[in-house]
Amino acid sequence: MFDVIVKNGLVVDGSGAPGFKGDVAIKDGRIAAVGKVTGEARTVVDATGRVVAPGFIDPHTHFDVQLLWDGAAKPALEHGVTCVVPGNCSLSLAPLKIADRARLIGMFQQIEEMPPEAFTEAFEWTWEDFAGYRAAIEKDLSINVAPLVGHSVIRLWVMGPASQERAATPDEIKAMQDLLRECLEAGAVGLSTSFVDVDENGRPVPSRFAQFEELDALSAVLGEFGRMLQIVPEFYATDITIARIDQLAELSLKHNIPTTFSPVFDNAGTPNSVPRQIARVEEQFARGARVWPQMQTRPADISFSLLRPSLFFGRLPRWMRVLRQPLEQRLAGLRDPAIVEKMIADTGPDEGEKLLGRLVLRGGDAAPPELAGMTLSEIAKARGETPARALISLSLEHGLDVAFVSANAGHEKTERVGPMLAHPLVHIGASDGGAHLASFATYGDTGYLFSEFVRKGHLTLEQAVAKITGETADIWGLKDRGRLQPGKAADIVVFDAERIDRAEELPIFDMPGDGMRYTRAARGIDTVLVNGEVAYTAGSYTMARAGVVCV
Amino acid sequence: MDEAVIVGAQVVAGHDGSAELLVTLRHANGVEAPVQLDEATGLKLMAACGASHVDELSGQSWRRIVE
Repeated sequence: MFDVIVKNGLVVDGSGAPGFKGDVAIKDGRIAAVGKVTGEARTVVDATGRVVAPGFIDPHTHFDVQLLWDGAAKPALEHGVTCVVPGNCSLSLAPLKIADRARLIGMFQQIEEMPPEAFTEAFEWTWEDFAGYRAAIEKDLSINVAPLVGHSVIRLWVMGPASQERAATPDEIKAMQDLLRECLEAGAVGLSTSFVDVDENGRPVPSRFAQFEELDALSAVLGEFGRMLQIVPEFYATDITIARIDQLAELSLKHNIPTTFSPVFDNAGTPNSVPRQIARVEEQFARGARVWPQMQTRPADISFSLLRPSLFFGRLPRWMRVLRQPLEQRLAGLRDPAIVEKMIADTGPDEGEKLLGRLVLRGGDAAPPELAGMTLSEIAKARGETPARALISLSLEHGLDVAFVSANAGHEKTERVGPMLAHPLVHIGASDGGAHLASFATYGDTGYLFSEFVRKGHLTLEQAVAKITGETADIWGLKDRGRLQPGKAADIVVFDAERIDRAEELPIFDMPGDGMRYTRAARGIDTVLVNGEVAYTAGSYTMARAGVVCV
Repeated sequence: MDEAVIVGAQVVAGHDGSAELLVTLRHANGVEAPVQLDEATGLKLMAACGASHVDELSGQSWRRIVE
């Protein structure tokens, strides 16, 4: 008697091999058989007309805090993600001394944009060491977690406030090595570091004060375990990023470790950037190094409101001049009919229909909730105004706290990004799930991979599944995950290949303290199993809590 | 003294969902290279250059970035 049989689906096993009609049987949380399965099971999942694939692995998230009150990392699980990697970009919630909590909260808030209540009311902070954090999240997981430990917190533990002031001494580096070793023994999947991030006061995070000798010493410890080094390079300058690729390659070769970097964006303004990065990665792989560029699937958007100056208006000088004034003068300018008429005229004879009409009102702020998701063109028509005038008048009516998004403003050309994602050395990830909560939704990138790149022919179904399952597991050394093979953990997603997608971005207020975040629901996902238990089905989460720290 | 000069600028989408400024610099040796500034830095550069339109940055000294 099996526990579960997923029957009659198109089995796409995560290896990249062609899919085949068949069944997947599960016993004791593991895959017991794949193919034509005979026998009975306590639960049968009918997958007729559906794809049966390994659960997706999201290798770049910031769910560190959310996992303490939401063991499903919603909505990640409903998108078919059965394993998340938190702790990226040098920041994790352990190891951390009690005295350093406030300092770290500031850094996390900068990245995640979570309300303060998330740290003060939503969970009981019981741990200092990494094992303690692991125990705290493991109590209630319905998704698997492979947590990174952050370089900044390791530095903070050893050096205190000096971690944001200076290079480490040899003794401090030795202490960091010992601490990292302890974290890896407690289940960390690797170390993350950043050359870019800042805290809430705009100061560089601790990892940015490290000299190369420190990173080299920590990589030596990663080498003892064969674990991952994740970095955020200076992605705003291609040549510096390429220098970091070379540096990662040296560390990879010297210590025999995998490394990965993100973000990797394709932008019209720098069309040679990603091709140059990939070319350098190819050279370094040819030398035997492992330096995985991690690329997101979703396009980048530009958000703005009139509450703050924005470069969005960088080609509209009059708007720029009005909006970069202090608030009182800005409001006065926007209420001055003579100035407003000129601003509107600057947007063209159609008064902004072409230039601004496709902007989408985001919601979650002072704007009327019913307008969320509508285009400015639609809003303008309903108000009997033109788009430029509606942008100004609606903003004035709500204290300027009305955000708009210009969607698909970068990394948006499918015909360019598709072949990049399909490249054998490009690692699909970088979702940032659980971060940037008040700026944009970081969920549903896996659905978008299928809707935009598989259904439009840039990757095969099998290739796309392998990229975010078997290949990701291989890259990260998650030996038990990523493939539908007997003996592997039974992390499985059942989905409709023709419907899988991300839904529209919407604001919801489900963060502690009624905090807002932008999110996207899933489309086309039928059932998700984690370690053999049904964790999500027919549009609802179940009570299953079978998730583990899976390192 | 030779110094880098801005020879082009455009607004692009940034990693954090904001608009950023992609500036192309021509260095003293003739090499041109892009650098992407976050929104706050880009706005500061425009103000320092007295520019209200990104095209007005062309020809300005890169030294303005620290002013």
